Amino acid sequence: MALLRLVSLLVFVLALEAQALTPSHYLVASDVDRLQAVLSQPFTDLKSAYFSVVGLSKLGVSVADSNDACSFIKANVDSSSIEALFYAAEASQAISSCEIHVSNETRDSLHAAVSEDSTVSQIHQAVSALSSLGLPLASQEVVSALKARISKEDNVVAITLALQTASRLSQQAELGEILEEIEDLAARLDDLGGVYLQFEEGLEATALFVSAAYALSDHVDMEPPLKEDQVIQLVNSIFSKKSWDSLSEAFSVASAAAALSNNRFHKPVVVSAVGPATVSHSHPLLQLHVTDVLCQPLSSANVLVESATSVASKAAILSQTPFTLRDGIFELNFMASKPASGYYQFSVAVTGDSRLVANHVELKVKVSTKVAINNMDLSVVDKDQSIGTKTTRVEYPNKGKASFIADSHQNFAMTFQLVDETTGVELTPHQTFVRLHNQKTGQEVVFVAEPDSKNLYKFELDTAERKTEFDSISGTYALYLMVGDATLENPVLWNVADVVLKFPDEEAPSTVQSKNLYVPKPEIQHLFREPEKRPPTVLSNTFTALVLSPFLLLLILWFKLGANISNFSFSPSSVLFHVGHAAMLGLMYVYWTHLNMFQTLKYLAIIGSLTFLAGNRMLAQKAVKRIAAEQSSRLAKYRSLR
Amino acid sequence: MSLSVIAVISRFLEEYRSSTSNKLKVIDAYLLYILLTGAFQFLYCLLVGTFPFNSFLSGFISSVGSFILAVCLRIQINPQNKGDFLSVSPERAFADFLFAHTVLHLVVVNFIG
Repeated sequence: MALLRLVSLLVFVLALEAQALTPSHYLVASDVDRLQAVLSQPFTDLKSAYFSVVGLSKLGVSVADSNDACSFIKANVDSSSIEALFYAAEASQAISSCEIHVSNETRDSLHAAVSEDSTVSQIHQAVSALSSLGLPLASQEVVSALKARISKEDNVVAITLALQTASRLSQQAELGEILEEIEDLAARLDDLGGVYLQFEEGLEATALFVSAAYALSDHVDMEPPLKEDQVIQLVNSIFSKKSWDSLSEAFSVASAAAALSNNRFHKPVVVSAVGPATVSHSHPLLQLHVTDVLCQPLSSANVLVESATSVASKAAILSQTPFTLRDGIFELNFMASKPASGYYQFSVAVTGDSRLVANHVELKVKVSTKVAINNMDLSVVDKDQSIGTKTTRVEYPNKGKASFIADSHQNFAMTFQLVDETTGVELTPHQTFVRLHNQKTGQEVVFVAEPDSKNLYKFELDTAERKTEFDSISGTYALYLMVGDATLENPVLWNVADVVLKFPDEEAPSTVQSKNLYVPKPEIQHLFREPEKRPPTVLSNTFTALVLSPFLLLLILWFKLGANISNFSFSPSSVLFHVGHAAMLGLMYVYWTHLNMFQTLKYLAIIGSLTFLAGNRMLAQKAVKRIAAEQSSRLAKYRSLR
Repeated sequence: MSLSVIAVISRFLEEYRSSTSNKLKVIDAYLLYILLTGAFQFLYCLLVGTFPFNSFLSGFISSVGSFILAVCLRIQINPQNKGDFLSVSPERAFADFLFAHTVLHLVVVNFIG
């Protein structure tokens, strides 16, 4: 039963964890300012004017000098180019009281651009220009032209432009099929590690898709088919880049940010702590930024701590406690609940708007405190406990007046308590070290002080036992206490007293080399493999001659036996045989010096087969001769017998 | 004792000189040559050392292999053994001898390094 509960709890916790995807990349105030600065650069041409003016308007900022901008646009517009008309129309609409007048021919050329023969980009520019200039357009024609073009231009950028175009049309038009393209495009997004969701075409394409999808969804009032996790992944992708290569990239990010912070369906929330998430007695307030993607605070939201549990003890400190809003920052006085120092897991919920996405956030908050050292007692204890201990108390941060002398018959002991300065609760920090430093030789030895069950720290130095650490060097050692922890605001390095240690064997080396680990080490000489010792050349030559000498003996013996080549028949086969055989022997020599087995086998096959054929012929001839000779001798014998 | 050994040896040599044909004596001379060559190689190895070992092995095996093949040839050529080798004519024996030598020398030269 208990196991089942545990398993269900684990599954529940995992499910919660899986649900809670929050933005890991978002724009902070300085990033938004930088984006604004990029978009506020002086215009170089009509295209950059469009990006700047419209981009800034998406950020909710108006361009610096609107009259200047307006006249620049009017001066640079080229009525024969659809693209120029698009930039001029969109930019002039973003600037208040800036109107562009177009002639009838221009209007007709814009209408003519809306056809199946123009690209989606041209249709988009024409429709947007007509819409911004307040001219009428035939929505149904646009829809059919777009549908025809989408089937021909099946890439991400084209379909995004089609979505953007559709959002400018009349709501009576049949936008259903174009609306379905949002889902198809969303399926083409690449999921990178569960954190990012973007097109392989890059940041700009992803950002423009987001702004087009929300523009169209708002226009037809239908929720876009994007799940909450996908929305957060898109936020991560689009806002992961904090400096932008080009004006068009900055413009796309600004459009996406505007779309995500102000649409009817999804509003991603960014919750981050102001500075490090740390509270202490001097800073008791936990402050949070709760903003949309454009770093504007959600003033109408309610921020609530659902639960705050201590990581160490798992005890719940807070439950359902609201934050108060002050100057755009949400605050909570956590120290009022008197938490002990350590880490706390906060579960924060942001409510108040049904569009909010990623509004449950987990935060880790640290509560730090100051440590006080109490009851620091130093004493020198005799090992056999015959002489009573003399305890000296030292107050922090003073140093003990008298030095403590300990020789090999005595132990030096130290006890103290570490407490929270404000509450008096006993603390066990991660680092409590006792350092003994010999000022003359520069040697230092560090020990760890351990707490007992009552959280009382004890340190004992047995002089005889520890003499190896000290290299048996007697002298005056300064005793330091080091206390440190992540949750302590005041780490301590306190020179408590001086201790004179006397070690029994005084044969310690007078010169102490500082154990410097970082001097150059002796160079290692690489030993190359020594070639094997060869015998002297004279010896080798002697033996070579000796080994070859039996050949001479053979020739002599053969000569004595009367072996000769007088029977050599100069038939072509025997000549060829002998030549082939000699060639094979020559091949053996060449094999030894130059060739490898495969080449040798190749040549051997050729020469060998020739030699074999010739030899076969020759031996057959010899066999015939021999048989004839045998027969004739047998015949002669037979005749002589008769 | 030693007298009888000498007598046996001299008798043996006498028999050998008279009864073996010239052809066989030629092959025997060749066998002696191979034997001495192998022995001298072994002597070098004992006296000076086995470096390079592969060369020594290859040379020694060449001697041993050649000796064996020559002995085979001698056996097959000897007319007194004709009954045992009815299908093998002396020419065939010689051809086999040459072929086996080719293979042996291929291996020896590969190993000699």
